Amino acid sequence: MVELERQDNYIDDINRELYDIRDEFSYSYKADKGLTPEIIREISGKKNEPKWMLDFRLKSLQIYNELDVPPWSPDISDLDIDNIVTYVKPKTDMKISWDDIPDEIKDTFVRLGIPQAEHESLAGVGAQYDSEVVYHSVRQYLLDQGVIYTDMESAVRDYGDIIKKHFMTCVPPRDHKFAALHGAVWSGGSFVYVPKGVKVDIPLQSYFRSNAPGAGQFEHTLIIVDEGAFLHFIEGCSAPKYSVNNLHAGCVELFVREGARLRYSTIENWSKNMYNLNTKRCIVEKNGSIEWISGSFGSRVSMLYPMSVLKGEGASSEFTGVTFAGNGQYLDTGAKVIHGAPYTTSTINAKSIAKDGGVAVYRGIVKIAPRAHHTKSTISCDSLMMDNNSRSDTIPVLDIRNDEVDIGHEAKIGRISDEAIFYLMTRGLSESDARAMIVRGFVEPIAKELPLEYAVEMNNLIRLELEGSIG
Amino acid sequence: MIKLNELNTLPVPTFRWLRVNELAIDDEIDFEARPYGKDFLQMAPQGELIQRQMPYNGLTDRPIMKDLMDSAGFGVSEDLVGFADTFHNSGMYIEIPRGIKVTEPIMVGYKPDSDNPTVIDNNLIIAHEHSEVTIVMDIASSANASAVHNGVTRVVAKEGAMVTVIKIQRMNDSSFHFDSNLALVGSGARVDYIVAELGSKKAAVNYTCRLSEGAQSHINTIYLGNGDRHLDLSFLMEHQGRRSTSSIEARGALRDMASKTFKGTIDFKKGADKSEGSESEHVLLFDRTVKSISVPLLLCSEDDVKGQHAISSGKVDQDKLFYLMSRGFSRGEAMVLLAEASFSDVIDKIYPKSLEDLIRAEISGRLLHGN
Amino acid sequence: MERALLSVEDLHVAIGEKLILKGMNLRIDKGEVHVIMGPNGAGKSTLAHILMGNPRYTLVRGNMAFEGQNINSLKTDERARLGMFLSFQYPEEISGITLENFLRSSKGSITGKNPSVLSFYKGLKEKMSGLGMGEEYAKRNLNEGFSGGEKKKSEILQMLVLEPKLAILDETDSGLDIDAVRIVASGIREYMDGEHSAIIITHHRAILDYVKPDFVHILLNGRIIESGGAELIEIIENKGFDHLRESAKSGV
Repeated sequence: MVELERQDNYIDDINRELYDIRDEFSYSYKADKGLTPEIIREISGKKNEPKWMLDFRLKSLQIYNELDVPPWSPDISDLDIDNIVTYVKPKTDMKISWDDIPDEIKDTFVRLGIPQAEHESLAGVGAQYDSEVVYHSVRQYLLDQGVIYTDMESAVRDYGDIIKKHFMTCVPPRDHKFAALHGAVWSGGSFVYVPKGVKVDIPLQSYFRSNAPGAGQFEHTLIIVDEGAFLHFIEGCSAPKYSVNNLHAGCVELFVREGARLRYSTIENWSKNMYNLNTKRCIVEKNGSIEWISGSFGSRVSMLYPMSVLKGEGASSEFTGVTFAGNGQYLDTGAKVIHGAPYTTSTINAKSIAKDGGVAVYRGIVKIAPRAHHTKSTISCDSLMMDNNSRSDTIPVLDIRNDEVDIGHEAKIGRISDEAIFYLMTRGLSESDARAMIVRGFVEPIAKELPLEYAVEMNNLIRLELEGSIG
Repeated sequence: MIKLNELNTLPVPTFRWLRVNELAIDDEIDFEARPYGKDFLQMAPQGELIQRQMPYNGLTDRPIMKDLMDSAGFGVSEDLVGFADTFHNSGMYIEIPRGIKVTEPIMVGYKPDSDNPTVIDNNLIIAHEHSEVTIVMDIASSANASAVHNGVTRVVAKEGAMVTVIKIQRMNDSSFHFDSNLALVGSGARVDYIVAELGSKKAAVNYTCRLSEGAQSHINTIYLGNGDRHLDLSFLMEHQGRRSTSSIEARGALRDMASKTFKGTIDFKKGADKSEGSESEHVLLFDRTVKSISVPLLLCSEDDVKGQHAISSGKVDQDKLFYLMSRGFSRGEAMVLLAEASFSDVIDKIYPKSLEDLIRAEISGRLLHGN
Repeated sequence: MERALLSVEDLHVAIGEKLILKGMNLRIDKGEVHVIMGPNGAGKSTLAHILMGNPRYTLVRGNMAFEGQNINSLKTDERARLGMFLSFQYPEEISGITLENFLRSSKGSITGKNPSVLSFYKGLKEKMSGLGMGEEYAKRNLNEGFSGGEKKKSEILQMLVLEPKLAILDETDSGLDIDAVRIVASGIREYMDGEHSAIIITHHRAILDYVKPDFVHILLNGRIIESGGAELIEIIENKGFDHLRESAKSGV
C-alpha cells in the first residue's frame, strides 16, 4: 500500500489561516428532538463500523446540534430541521413502487430516451442495478492498474487506515450545519484511489454503481489522486433522481497530490422536491490541478459551491458551471477558491439561466492569502433572464491579501437580445428554435467539457426545460 | 450609545466567514454632540434659492419631509443616521426653485480642530423640476486634532432636475469619518456624485440612489489607503423605474497595511425594465501587506435590463515604476504619478479647480512618505 | 406582365413614433441587381429591415409582395424560407454555436431537410476558400470575435450557402479595405448568375466596380427621388446627394 502521510496538521493550518472558520458560527445549542445518539448507533451498528467511525458520527451529531442554519441561505423552512430524523432514519420497511414515481419524472425518462430497463433503477426502485455487470468489468480493468474503486462502506472496512486519515478532514463537520449532519448520518458513496503516475483513461462514473436503498442522500465521495496521476470522475446522471426523502446532504472530498490532475463532472438533476445541500471540496498540492464541471438543473433548493483549496505552489483550479432555475426552484450555486500558495491560478466561468419564476444565484469567493504571491484569477459570471417573473443575483467576493496578483472579474446580466433573435430568424430559424439555439450556445462551455452522451442528454434537458415556456 | 458593529450592511448577505456582511469598528469613538463653532458655508451663490444653515426649524413644515422620512433603509447604519438627524451641529438646507439653474457651486468646507473636534452635519438638498445645482463639500482636519465626522446628506431631485454633489474627505489619521447619502432621483432627473475618499483612520461611507423612470445617477469615486487605515465604501443603485441608468466607477490605490472593502450594488427592481447599470473598480496595489476586498453585486428581478460589472486588481506595473525611477523619480514620486494617472478621469471632473490642487496635495502627501 | 420577384408599394415605415419611409415603391424581377444609394438617415437600412420583418420597425401603410404573395404579416423566418436574405450592416455575434453548425441548421430549416454532414462541410470549405476564409472559421463561434471584414465575409458566405432568390446587402462594403471589398464583391458576383436577384445598399462606389447594377435608385428622406441606370452613380460621384436634393425640391 502506498504511504499516505498524515493530513491533520496541514488541514488544521488551512482551516485556521484561510477559512478562519473557528469562530464563524454563532452557536445556538439546541438538542434535536429527533436525531439521537441511539439512532446514530443504530446506523453505525447496521453497517458494522469500527469504533472510530461511530465516535466520529457521535461527535458530528454534537456539532450538528450546536450549529445554526446560515442566515444568508435560501428559504429552507419547509425542511423540518427540528425533526431531521424523518429524513435520516433508515427506512428498512420503505418500499417504493414504480407507481409512486411522479409522472413528470417518468415522462422525462421516456423523452430523454433512457431505456425502459434503467428507469426503475434510476428512480431508486430496483434493489439491483442492471449496470452492475458493467461496473464489475470496469472494476477489474482498474484493479489491474492498482486503482481502488469501491463503495464507502467497504472502504471503511477494507482500507480503514486511509479512510481514517482523510475522512472529513477536507470538509470538517464544523464547516456548517449540514456538513455536521452528513458526518453523523452519512451512508453510501464512492472511494477512489489512483496510484502514483497512473492515468485512468476512461471516466469513472458513479452511475455504474448499485444504489442501496437510502443511499444517494447522504453519500460520501472520497477521491485521492496520487502524484502525477490522472482521473476523470463523473458523478450522478442527467436523468432525474427521485427520492421520497427530500433532503440531500452529500459530501465530496477530493485530494489531488503533487502534479496530479482530477476532473470532476456533475450533471445534477434531482427531482423538484429536493433540498440539495451538498458540500464539495478539493485540496490541491504542488502543480496539481482540479477541474470542476458542474451542471445544476434539478431540486427545489440547491446550495452548492465547490471549493478548491490551492495549497501547493503552482496548483490550479478551473470551474465551469451552468445553473438552470425554472418554476419553483431556488438554485444558489457558485464556486470558492482559496489561493493558499504562490504561483497558483484559478478560473471561474459560471453561467445561469432563470425562467418561469425560478431564482438563480451565483455566490462565490476568491480569496488570496498573504503568502500566495504571483497568483492569477479570472472570474466570469453570465446570467440570462428568460422573463420578468424570475430572479437572478450575482454575489461574488474578492478578498486579496497581497499585491503580486492579477485578478480580473466580469459579470453580465440580461436577456436574449431581440436583435440576435431577429438575426437568426432571417436565416430561417423559427423564434423558438432561435431562442433554443442561443441558450444552447450559452451553455456550450459546459456541454463541450462533458462526455458526448452527457452533453446530448444535457441538450435534451434544456430543450425540455425550454419547451415549457416557449411551447 | 451608538452601535458600531453593523455598519454598511451588505444588501444581501453571504458566507459569514468572509466577514463582509457588515463592518464592525471596535475603536473608542467620542460621539459627544458638542457644537461646531466654525463657519462652514464658504461660497454661496446669489439668486433665487433658499439656503439655510442647519439646525433650521422651518424644515418640518415642508411637505417633502414626509417622502424623506418614509425613505428609510439607507446610510452607514440606522443609528448613525438617526444620531445626525437628532443631534446635528451643522449642515445646509438648500432648495432650488423650479427651472432655476445655479451656475456657481455652493461650497461647504469643514476643518475640525481640537476646539471643535466634532462635525455632525445634516444636509437636505431639494432641486425642484428642471433646476440645476452643484454642491461641493470638503472635510479636512487640523493636524493635531482627533476629529469625528458623522454626516447625512439627502438629495431630492424632482422631474428633470440635475444635481451634482462633490465630496472630498481628507481628514488626518487619528480621525473617524462616517457619511450617509441618499438620493431620490425623480423621473428624468439626474444626480451625480464625485467622491474622493483620501484620509481618516477609519472611514465608512454609504451612497444609496433610488432611480425613478428615466432617471440617471453616476458615481465616480477615487480612494486612497495608506498606513494601517481602513476604508469601507458602499454604493447602492436601486433601479425602481423603467429606462433608468446608473454607473458606479471606482479607482483606488492601496499601500502599506491599508485595507479597503468596496461594496457596489446594482439592483434592478421589478418594473425597472429597459434599465441599464454598470459598475467597475480598478485597484492599484503597491505593497504585499495591503488588503483589498471587493463585493460587486448584481441583483435582478427584470429580464429586459442590462447589468454588468468588471473588477480588476493588480500590482502596479513594475516596468512602469522602473521606467519612472530611471528618469530620476523616487519610488514614492513614481507611485504618486501612477495613482494620479489612474485617478485623472475623476479628478478632472472636480471643480472649482482649486480643489484639484488640494486633492493632488493630499495624494502626494500620503504616497510620498514612508518607503 | 410577368410576376415580380419583389414588389413594394406605397411603403410607410416607422421606428417608434418616427416615420422613416414615406411612400416607397420598388419592383425587382428575377436576375436583376438594384442599387440603392442615399445619404445617412435616408431610410436605406429601414428598407432592408422591414423587408425581413424586424419587429423593431412598424409597417404603417403599404404592401410588400414576394413572388406575388403578400408578406406584410409573415414572420422573419417565413420570409427567409421563401428565399429572402439579409446581409446585416452589423452582424450579431452568437456564442457557443459554430459557424458550421449554425449554417447547417439554417440550411436545414430553409430547405426542410438536413444536409448530410460530409457533403455540407465539403461545399462549405470550397465557398470559404473562395472568400479567403481559413477553414478554422467553420469551427469558430458565429461572428464571435470576428473583425469587421471577417463578419462581412461571414455574411456573404451565408448567402452563398443558403442560396436565396433575393439577397439584400445592407452596407456590406462599408468599413472594408480595398482587398476585402474585392473579395466580398467577387462572392457577390459568383452569386449573381442571372437567376438570383439582389438589392445592394451602399454609399460607396467601389463595390460597383465589380458588380454591375441594372437599376440605381436614389433614396432621400424616405422616398425614391430618382431611378435610372449605372449613369446615376457617376452623377452622385461628381455632384453628391445635395445636387439631387436641390433638384428634388425644385421638381416639387
